[in-house]
Amino acid sequence: MAGETVRRIDKRILLGFGLLVSLIAVLSYLTLFSGTVGLSWSDLSLRSLPYDSVQSQIFWEIRVPRLVAAVFSGISLSVAGLSLQTLFRNPLAGPFVLGISSGASLGVALSLLAGFSFGYFGVLSAASVGAIAVTFLVMAVAARFENSTVLLIVGLLVGYFIDALVSLLIVGSDAESLRVYVSWGMGSFGRLTFDCIWIFALSTLVGLALLLLSIRYMNATRLGDDFARGLGLNVRRGRIMVLLGASLLAGTSTAFCGPVAFVGIAVPHLAFMLFKTGNHRVLLPASALCGIVLCLAACQFSSVPLNAVLSLVGVPVVLWVIIRGGGIRK
Amino acid sequence: MNSALLKCEHLKLCYAAVAPIDFELLSGEVVALLGENGCGKSTFLKTLCGLLEPVSGVVSLLGRPLWPVSKNTWAPRERAKAVAIVRMGGVACDRMTVREFVGLGRTPYAGLLDGRTQEDERIIDDSIALLDLRKFANRWMTELSDGERSRVYLAQAIAQQVKVLLLDEPNAFLDIPRSRKLFTLMQELAKAHGMGILVSTHSVEYAEKYGDRIAVIEKGRFRCERSSEARAKGLLDWTM
Repeated sequence: MAGETVRRIDKRILLGFGLLVSLIAVLSYLTLFSGTVGLSWSDLSLRSLPYDSVQSQIFWEIRVPRLVAAVFSGISLSVAGLSLQTLFRNPLAGPFVLGISSGASLGVALSLLAGFSFGYFGVLSAASVGAIAVTFLVMAVAARFENSTVLLIVGLLVGYFIDALVSLLIVGSDAESLRVYVSWGMGSFGRLTFDCIWIFALSTLVGLALLLLSIRYMNATRLGDDFARGLGLNVRRGRIMVLLGASLLAGTSTAFCGPVAFVGIAVPHLAFMLFKTGNHRVLLPASALCGIVLCLAACQFSSVPLNAVLSLVGVPVVLWVIIRGGGIRK
Repeated sequence: MNSALLKCEHLKLCYAAVAPIDFELLSGEVVALLGENGCGKSTFLKTLCGLLEPVSGVVSLLGRPLWPVSKNTWAPRERAKAVAIVRMGGVACDRMTVREFVGLGRTPYAGLLDGRTQEDERIIDDSIALLDLRKFANRWMTELSDGERSRVYLAQAIAQQVKVLLLDEPNAFLDIPRSRKLFTLMQELAKAHGMGILVSTHSVEYAEKYGDRIAVIEKGRFRCERSSEARAKGLLDWTM
């Protein structure tokens, strides 16, 4: 009987993954080939040389980077959100709560509003430096305190402090700088360039690897640090790996796509509702796939600010799933 | 003669004002630990399972040092295969089915990505069956009563397949028939698998009936006697 139950659960999980992968395939096709300028495979075939045709340029310089940005952001934000919700045992935790997104915002604000130079990559470097600086601050606190709640409070306080600093920079800035900064804050998958894809890919892979190696810790720490210790896990190392992985994922995504709200907090709940398991071996890839679907769906509305699309489309969908699924808490 | 699975010498607990403790937990026995609230029972159990460092003294598990930390000390993962602690008033475990929770007992044996083998699944099924949890197996932990949850906690520890089991007030939320069944099960586990079980409880009746020995922490002093002799030797006078 138990064996049948296991098989039934596995079947449901496989079905869920199959559905999500199919949705991703359809949405990827739409992202690459539909839009203001419709493209087809024949426009891009090897026979349609030269590669510097308008269609090729649109495909390689706009559509492909946008697809990659949506996929990597979807993975990064949802997996970071899931990990932080698990670490803090708080369903409202997400990449924003540790102040990582605020740190990136401060870097960008210093670059755009205060005129600081951050080298070749400009805004990207600025956001990265800000996110990394806050991550190190949070890590320093994590190394000092055992209690995850302390870390959560420190993250929130750092976020508020940084937001206040950004407000001061906004007050003293000119209209054009402010316009550019506000535009960055709305989020977009259209800023990634083909040359930078490898940086995004590398950071995402490293962040994911850190979190994959922490699955055992994440599954056990839901019952508290003492419980995890009792199962022979190194709680301090697990916490630092999760923090580092989540910060890397959230920081990189914020650097490339701006502070994208909603995905990090909502997608883990959506994945749980669909797969009905708290096991991170399932929930982690499930969140990643759900995140990709949501971000690719948002890509179809490229003329509207990303954060607005994600919230306007995503919130009703997630609410519907939660209400039908019987609530977030089980 | 049964061998000592757990041994502590001149153990001075942190947080609790208790005189240095000398104690041995033998293979195949159930020892009931009694004492008033706040006397140091939970602290003692946490120290014995390696979660809380003592002020001083030595604790050895299966002949290998647990405290103080040295080169030869148990690695945390190996220790978790030898000793488990079960506490009833833990964090509410939302988003977790009974089967998933019991499966956590296999964590010390799991690989890097926390997978479960067929053997793990069999052990999890056996633990669920042993505690009469089959009909709850796919229910959410938050949907269970406190008593049902107590049994799930115990099933998780049994799935851990340890030699030393430490239980902190396991019958606190159980009705009388289930409490009896639980203590009988402890006796069976100890005898059948050569386990050593140390169980803290407020039930003197169960301690005398089901415990091979009774340990008491009272007025900062630890004493331990055979349960048949405990009352005569005055170990239970404080309960009057």
